[in-house]
Amino acid sequence: MIDVALHADERQRIASALGREPTRVELYAFDAQWSEHCSYKSSRAQLRRLPVSGEDVVVGPGEDAGVLRLGEHDGEFYCVVVAHESHNHPSQVVPFEGAATGVGGIVRDVLCMGAQVVGIADALRFGDVSDPAGHPRHVARAVVDGISAYGNAIGVPNLAGDVHFHRGFDENCLVNVVALGIVKENEIVHSRAPAGSSGWPLLLVGKATDHSGFGGAAFSSLTLDGASEVGNRGAVQVPDPFLKSVLMRACYRVFALLRERGAVFACKDLGAGGIMGCSAEICAAGGYGASIDLDRVNVAQEGLPAEVIAVGETQERMLFVVAPEMLDDVLAVFNDEFSLPQIAYNARAVVIGAVTQEKRYVLVHRGERVMDVDIEVLTTPPEVPPPRYDPIAPATKTTPGDREALPQVTEALYRRYDSVVRGCTVLPRGYGDAGVVAPIPGSHLGVAIAVAGDPEIGSHDPRLAAEYAVLEAVRSVAAVGACPVGLTDCLNFGNPTKPEHYAQFVAAVDGLVRGAGKLNLPFVSGNVSLYNEGARGEAVPPSAIVACVGVLEDVRRVVTPGLKAAGALLVAIDDITELQRMMADDRVAACAVACSEGLVPAVARMAFASAREGRALGAELHDAAPDDGFVAFVVEIAAGEHHAGRVVGRVVAEPVVRSRDRREATADLYAAWSERLTELYA
Amino acid sequence: MLVFPGTNSEEETVRLLRAYAGEAELVHWSRARTLPAYDAYVIAGGFAYEDRIRAGAIAARDAMMEPVIDGAVRGKLVLGICNGAQILLEAGLVPGGSNGRPTAAFTRNAPNGHFICKQVSVKLAVDPQRSAITSSLAPGAVMPAWAAHAEGRLAARAADLAALVDGEHVAFVYARPDGVVDDGATPNGSALRCAGLVNREGNVLAVMPHPERIYPQHSPLFESFVRAVNAP
Repeated sequence: MIDVALHADERQRIASALGREPTRVELYAFDAQWSEHCSYKSSRAQLRRLPVSGEDVVVGPGEDAGVLRLGEHDGEFYCVVVAHESHNHPSQVVPFEGAATGVGGIVRDVLCMGAQVVGIADALRFGDVSDPAGHPRHVARAVVDGISAYGNAIGVPNLAGDVHFHRGFDENCLVNVVALGIVKENEIVHSRAPAGSSGWPLLLVGKATDHSGFGGAAFSSLTLDGASEVGNRGAVQVPDPFLKSVLMRACYRVFALLRERGAVFACKDLGAGGIMGCSAEICAAGGYGASIDLDRVNVAQEGLPAEVIAVGETQERMLFVVAPEMLDDVLAVFNDEFSLPQIAYNARAVVIGAVTQEKRYVLVHRGERVMDVDIEVLTTPPEVPPPRYDPIAPATKTTPGDREALPQVTEALYRRYDSVVRGCTVLPRGYGDAGVVAPIPGSHLGVAIAVAGDPEIGSHDPRLAAEYAVLEAVRSVAAVGACPVGLTDCLNFGNPTKPEHYAQFVAAVDGLVRGAGKLNLPFVSGNVSLYNEGARGEAVPPSAIVACVGVLEDVRRVVTPGLKAAGALLVAIDDITELQRMMADDRVAACAVACSEGLVPAVARMAFASAREGRALGAELHDAAPDDGFVAFVVEIAAGEHHAGRVVGRVVAEPVVRSRDRREATADLYAAWSERLTELYA
Repeated sequence: MLVFPGTNSEEETVRLLRAYAGEAELVHWSRARTLPAYDAYVIAGGFAYEDRIRAGAIAARDAMMEPVIDGAVRGKLVLGICNGAQILLEAGLVPGGSNGRPTAAFTRNAPNGHFICKQVSVKLAVDPQRSAITSSLAPGAVMPAWAAHAEGRLAARAADLAALVDGEHVAFVYARPDGVVDDGATPNGSALRCAGLVNREGNVLAVMPHPERIYPQHSPLFESFVRAVNAP
């Protein structure tokens, strides 16, 4: 019995499209390609509602990553590349490897656009970690170990992220990762076989194919339950960040070489569906077919079944489509200059097949044609009609609920991540509400990144939570002085065949549309992760996690949250345009997002940042300051300076935070709010 | 500048060397045979050969290091940062005098071996003229740098630690930004609060934290190194 996630009607549809029963390899290929993970078959109809265009959008959703305009330097036009994905199920089952390969995958999505990878961010949602022997605690620790081990080794700074704990994630954690890259606008590489590429070689590059990650795409499109966890471990991929580090650099060299020669080429990373998924998509996107000889694939062990070579998700691999006359030079870069075969067992670049004029997808194994299907059928899975569901009524409340949990200081976590490798980091993780890099040497252009998504709000109102995720990510980027230019989303929900879970997903899309619409910002990339539920069939708290990319014209004008001068005013500003106006006039000395957290945590963070910046300053909130805390930004401005906000307090010359009913030393607050993460991660 | 498989700080390191008018080139492991032609060597941060066994242990015995060791013996200047510092220790170039056997290691951070990424300050703890590489620094110079390592804690037997002190090998110690040296400023439990070691002759310097990661990039240490290399 072949264990696949395809539904019976999908199997029938495949058989009727082929005019025969699929072969074993074909069945696994369709299982991957028509999986929820690859095809968005249950979510596409809803995703079409998201705004995706705008003047700064160069490449919107549909390719491996989105591309946004950054600015001009030295007569060249630069873009930011951004991708956002989840690696939830693998991280729940094998947390270290699952989270590490999540980073590995998202980095390849940005790399394959022809970009230099310049940053990553992570949004983590864990269960109740209080039981010292519990699995949620093991997951929470090992996920951070995995992200740290992988990201630090490949030399990409971790710039932003958040972490939330909620019982609803006990059996299904969320690990969302974002990667940022930089590319010149005229050097973007697309993941489609170029015009006129019929007959060109398909070049597989990287780690030797093994049996790891077999069935990964289908695995992430099923629910997790205790009984299958052991069996599913084989579906998790195995990370090799050291090989990846070399592979990335070799790809940069190949990009440069092909550009120097003025050569057209295509590149795509191998993710879900392995060799089959990648080669089918890159050729179909160009209007071609593909023919591949699986015996030419560099393997780590003999005797792998054809379906494992074809759809297994061995990590650290890329696929290039290059002109025949470029082939020898490209092979030399990978195999000689970067000596991949000496870096990891049987790693190399090798030609495995060719682009074909005929739109078939053909795999040969030991001289036998084990797959021969219409490439369009393979790569255009049918959509799944939604279940009948009762829409969730819009909540009457427009502000988030009161929260009992203490605010969190996450220093113990982010110290584990290299935030400054590459020497371009202007605001490292934890130094501001968004991370900022100046990725182009010699230029002051900056890129800001922040993520948001509050499961506490999500569990009460998925629509409001999604809208808030947009607002908070955007405000975080604005708070450091960047102009928000684009969004990505990862929608982490339950089982789409269950009406109540599907309704949560639809409500969250409503919230994203509303939030992005208000701010006139496009979604340029994203991911949907469904079937996030535990053994009892309960979905995780509805979690629309949003990342926002911002642009700084000049990083020397970055705004930090650190309080600057005793006697200055603390002013609440609700309007992002007003904030940007004040920043343009240099009236803002410091800024922090308050949003759902409230006023006291916001000014406390400003005081913490002040201490880090070497000033022993604090904040005093007026008696009249609202304690429901709903303001967008708190800014520090010099007394007497013009502003259109409400004065809520002032900066004081001692390191304390004073409000109506309390007065606490900032060091004590810092220690109290650090406790949970220090205990877990330090 | 040597690039091992796994080196990940090569771009920012070479950029800063060039900013101080250093004529620097990246020499990749596949071009190791060109190394003898260079006047001075920098080994940058990152990883090398997955840092199996101990950080730097494999790289120290790699063919890439032969021309570096040979050059160091003949007085060429060698600067190692982070993984580069670990490699220099493993190669026995610092503190030196042990026929290539390491007498100390930068090993797992205290208290629990985790990677730490934290801005620190390092203070010059020897006379600037003790090493050609530091000769343009002010006495007691305090400089910002980023600690970004899992294995940065100096460890050695008591007798070897005493020899480091007696031989004035501890070139840099962790300090507060105002220059006060104390344990609170040491991010990894390093013995002697050591952040950097120099060999007896003063031509090989190993520094754990990264001066090149300060943004915007500037480093009196790199400036001093390039000046020493360019000196007639």
